[in-house]
Amino acid sequence: MKIKQEEQGKRPYKKPELMQVPLRPEEAVLGNCKMSGGAQGPGQGTCTSPVPCSAVGS
Amino acid sequence: MENTSQFCLEVADISVKIRSADPTLQFETQGVMKNFLSGELQPDAQASATWSDLSRMSLGEKIFDSGALWQLHRRNGSYLFAFTSSVFGPFPYKVASFDSSFTAGEVYLHHPYFESKSALYPLEYPLDELWMVNLLGQGRGVEIHGCGVVDADGKGHLFVGQSGAGKSTMARLWEPQKGIQILSDDRIVLRQANQKLWMYGTPWHGEAGFSSTARAPLTRIYFLRHAKENKLLPQRPAQAVGQLFTCSFPPFYNPEALDFTLGFFEEVVQAVPCFELRFLQDEKVIELLTGPSNED
Repeated sequence: MKIKQEEQGKRPYKKPELMQVPLRPEEAVLGNCKMSGGAQGPGQGTCTSPVPCSAVGS
Repeated sequence: MENTSQFCLEVADISVKIRSADPTLQFETQGVMKNFLSGELQPDAQASATWSDLSRMSLGEKIFDSGALWQLHRRNGSYLFAFTSSVFGPFPYKVASFDSSFTAGEVYLHHPYFESKSALYPLEYPLDELWMVNLLGQGRGVEIHGCGVVDADGKGHLFVGQSGAGKSTMARLWEPQKGIQILSDDRIVLRQANQKLWMYGTPWHGEAGFSSTARAPLTRIYFLRHAKENKLLPQRPAQAVGQLFTCSFPPFYNPEALDFTLGFFEEVVQAVPCFELRFLQDEKVIELLTGPSNED
């Protein structure tokens, strides 16, 4: 059957696979500054805002 | 930079300008952000900043909640980001309003919460990055949670991973190599230009502090995994798209931008070899990546 399909130029059927990938919403939405230990906004943790801030986690 | 009433930033060849007409509202930039200041006269997007009383501002319908610093609202066709911190109080300390293309906006700062004599950075994180990812989402490109390294031959290697995956570690392992350049250890912008895919450095660095305004052709993508041995495993396109999506910053509240992002990733994985990189935290992984078997 497989040989017959390949002769006809068709690829053999392959069952679809479901793949799960882990999303981290708290990172993806740019909600927190992780360099200040997950602090939320000016004055939290080590954050000294409102002054410039460019150190934003890894 | 001395205190000023306007400045322009350029990241990944996208320029944004912000200005103040109020002499009591002065700006300053600090750190690596200074490297991204631009003299562009025709920016891609502009906003003005003003002192305001945000205690009574009507924000319109809330359409997205980041779960942390900001919420997104829609009012009369505009997008409004409201930033609130418990340190200040119940009112937003800042609201940024943009038109639907994110090319024109207003930044309102709640005056009672700020020392008006101090110069400030009105696009304080995450507003600068939010503005940029929304501009990218309009067909310009995608920001990736990744570390970008340009090797001695000028080829761009993108190491992708969420927090803790080893992006800053990878940057430090590459750093002693001759002739290399690290574009960022945390945020890389991908864009297409002149039929080529490019990766750009950004100001939004990670723990290792690497940040560059440069760009390089994207040559390979690696998804980082800590392991007990160094190994490269080719990834199928569907796997690669899935992993890129989980390590990107698309505007989740914008269906058109999400559609563009997924289509962009499909083009990326068709054009660039993608691998899972299992690695130990030592320099031997660099030998694996630069060895003869990896020459294209």
